[in-house]
Amino acid sequence: GMVAAPAVVRAQDKFAWKMTNAYGPGAPMTTVGPGSPTRFAELVGSMSGGRLTFQHFAAGELIPAFEGFDAVVAGTVEANAANSYFWSGRSFAAQYFTNVPFGMSFPGHMAWLYHGGGMELWDEVYQPFGVVAFPFNNTGTQMTGWFRKEVTSVEDFKGLKMRIPGLSGKVYAALGVDVRLLPGPEIFPALERGVIDAAEFVGPYSDRRLGLQKAAKNYYTTGWHEPNNAGELLINKANWDSLPDDLKTMVRTAAMTCLVESYTWCESVNGAALVELVEKEGVIARPLPPEVIARLREATADTLATEAGKDPLVRKVHDHYMAFKAKHDRWSEIARSV
Amino acid sequence: MTAAGVIRGCEALIDGVGRAVSWVSLGLVLVMAGNVLLRYGFSTGSVAMQELEWHLMSPIALLGMSYAIQHEGHVRVDVLYGRMSPGAKRVIDVISFLLVAIVAALLVKISIPYVMLAHRLNEGSPNPGGLPWRFLLKSFIPLGFALLFIQSVAAMARVIALPDTLPASATAAASARISSQGTPA
Amino acid sequence: MTPNEILALATLGSFFALLLIGVPVALTLAVTGFFFGYLGFGMTLFNLLPARVFGVVSNYTLIAIPLFVFMGVMLEKSRIAEELMDVIGHLAGGVRGGMGVGIILVGVLMGATTGIVGATVVTLGLLTLPALLRRGYDKGLACGAICASGTLGQIIPPSLVLILLSDILGESVGTLFAAAVIPGLMLSAIYCLYIFALGVLSPGQVPAIPADERAAMSGKDLLGKAIRVGLPPVALVVAVLGSIIGGVAAPTEAASMGALGSILVVAFARRLTWEVLRETVHATTRTTAAMIFILVCSQVFALAFRGLQGEALVHDLFAFLPGGVPAEVIFMLAIIFLLGFFIEWIEISYIVVPMFMPILVRGDVDLVWAATLIAVVMQTSFLTPPFGWALFFLRGVAPPEVGTMDIYRGVIPFIGMQMLAVAIIFVWPDLALWLPRAIGW
Ligand code: NA
Ligand code: NA
Repeated sequence: GMVAAPAVVRAQDKFAWKMTNAYGPGAPMTTVGPGSPTRFAELVGSMSGGRLTFQHFAAGELIPAFEGFDAVVAGTVEANAANSYFWSGRSFAAQYFTNVPFGMSFPGHMAWLYHGGGMELWDEVYQPFGVVAFPFNNTGTQMTGWFRKEVTSVEDFKGLKMRIPGLSGKVYAALGVDVRLLPGPEIFPALERGVIDAAEFVGPYSDRRLGLQKAAKNYYTTGWHEPNNAGELLINKANWDSLPDDLKTMVRTAAMTCLVESYTWCESVNGAALVELVEKEGVIARPLPPEVIARLREATADTLATEAGKDPLVRKVHDHYMAFKAKHDRWSEIARSV
Repeated sequence: MTAAGVIRGCEALIDGVGRAVSWVSLGLVLVMAGNVLLRYGFSTGSVAMQELEWHLMSPIALLGMSYAIQHEGHVRVDVLYGRMSPGAKRVIDVISFLLVAIVAALLVKISIPYVMLAHRLNEGSPNPGGLPWRFLLKSFIPLGFALLFIQSVAAMARVIALPDTLPASATAAASARISSQGTPA
Repeated sequence: MTPNEILALATLGSFFALLLIGVPVALTLAVTGFFFGYLGFGMTLFNLLPARVFGVVSNYTLIAIPLFVFMGVMLEKSRIAEELMDVIGHLAGGVRGGMGVGIILVGVLMGATTGIVGATVVTLGLLTLPALLRRGYDKGLACGAICASGTLGQIIPPSLVLILLSDILGESVGTLFAAAVIPGLMLSAIYCLYIFALGVLSPGQVPAIPADERAAMSGKDLLGKAIRVGLPPVALVVAVLGSIIGGVAAPTEAASMGALGSILVVAFARRLTWEVLRETVHATTRTTAAMIFILVCSQVFALAFRGLQGEALVHDLFAFLPGGVPAEVIFMLAIIFLLGFFIEWIEISYIVVPMFMPILVRGDVDLVWAATLIAVVMQTSFLTPPFGWALFFLRGVAPPEVGTMDIYRGVIPFIGMQMLAVAIIFVWPDLALWLPRAIGW
């Protein structure tokens, strides 16, 4: 009777969830280490005293890398860690929650998501799928990538074979780049042998880990195509709704902790890696020529306008993002001018 | 129609699908080599054609499963099996075919919602210019296992109703196996 | 032990039992997976199965399988390769074991073109096994040599195992590729020495071509024949390797150069007929689909093992962990070797390597050296009965007179040589570490 009741309540109050991940075992930040999904699982487990646990599975352990979205929609796993732009094949609007080429960097993008109405739009885009999403880890600014030859003008892009997936590939294609979709592990051998002329990956720390500096020496630092890269914590809506409020708060708090941890960690290791690359490994790091950047900026605007024209929801997200960006740009210029 | 007629009809269906789908493997060679040579020679290529490379693997593998098993038999460890009496082998064969049919039916059942979900989400390539309609590609999973179900039931019926015979399509290797071991391996 | 761990053990046990009584391999994997998985966690987790199946059939790297099989079958169906082994035998003259060494060398060349075990074993099996048996080679030795040389591609770059390890260990792919070159060649040399030694100690197993038959073929005839039957396979290897080295194709793409090349080579030899093409696509599809079918069924098994927390079972073995860095590395390699009896190498990499990572890092172990050791042990798991992929792939294409037992018996000496190679690399780490340093990878 009365005595057993609290125990029963506590039993119903326990949640053991599975979390899959689009990144493989051992990947720093996206799988292990500061701000990673495994770190998130640890945080929530200890905050909740074991009432909510996440059993983490890296890509390939339970399901392949890009199957997490469907698994969460179907409710077979409760959560998935990835980037929303992997799901842009379901709705192009998903692109905007990860990043936009020539869009806002970390402070602006996060400001838009948390305080500018971005997360409400994210909920609106995902509502038909029965899932909710939260900003997760973040790499900060990424790099334009590795080129075997110096880029001096837009002409150099004509027929340039570049490994570049996703939206930025489309922008490069508009400038005459021959877009290649090689999987991650084949980037190095292909670049080293000249099968491709250029490749994009992440930033100094991760690129150096892959050894790309041994395949090409021209490292373009502009990072126009990924001014930041926001991770996504995806949770099945029914499961989310079943959580009591205190556990919901812990999930939100742990995700924000991972956001700060991962971003600050990347800022720290990227600086160190870039110095190593330039000073010890003969890498030439420089931005793309201004003329090239201007042309990429135009092509990006055209590409985004085309995509936004296809779907009213994409249009809505696009306009909202750009309106916020216009105001934030004025502010961030002041910050940058110091 | 007689039982033998139904068995032969099912086997002819599997064989026909397998032969037709086989040409996809030539398509794969030409598409992939074409992509490589066009890129090398002319620095050109399309995202859709690159994605087509791995899209072609799915029909070869999934629609070819039942065709492969019908012709070559299952791969098995024959250390004990090879020494068994024909009767014991038939028992193992009937149970095996029955279990394959059950596994195939299970996979059909659990993959249909998976395909329907891809259809509902209107899943396509995340790469602009990539191939749309991924649900069609995924639908080879239930289709392939449905064919495997038919193949296994037909093979089981053959072991029971027409013992010591082989499908018309079985290869020379399989015939040699039946003559040396008394049952299709 | 938790109930799940007991179920995980039962899964392994039943798998062995069903396999031994002759239940098809693929079915054994699927049935034990479904049965014990269902007992442990019900049906929910199996709803992820279609995603895993899709992962297999949409795996970019696996495209190399149909392409290399196409190449091998094309050469076989056009009868170009039929006499390849004979020519090697004639060229070896009175030296016993010549054809066996020929297989190893072909395996090294094919290994340098691909990292896919199945494709090499199937191609070698199709091209060389009938000729070796006709020449009176011991069945077991022929099968062992084919399986072992077929797995050399896992060590000699490019290699899928090394690519996955580079991802898990966070080392550059290029460094691991360079590190594996010398150990790979050393292993090939050990194989060759073994076969030559057999030629002296047990000549009946590896006969040379009879002297009168050799005498019947003039030097000129032999040269002509060598060019006629040797050129096509050499040209294809050059097409595949050359396109990688020359910067024409990425490693997986290069397989398409071999497949397209095989059509051209056969056309040049005026043997390209409608019949040959049709039989080639049929056989390519059947061989590929049969291999993928086993892989697909192994997804059920892997999912169940995961769901039953099989990795916890492995983790419990840590209780036995002795102290000291060398002992820990040996212990890790032993676990990988043992798991190789049951589980596929990808699962092993995911289960064991991340588990030992902290120990390796804390012990200041060179990860490149560790990766090389792991790769050689992992390669061994392709050869270990009862569940070695190479053994099944060969079984699928071997002539009917070759039994599973012949294959099992044949690989045992080669497993011993693998262990020897591991010991040598363990004692002299520079065998792995020198080349990457020397070329700056
Ligand atoms: Na990136
Ligand atoms: Na290789």
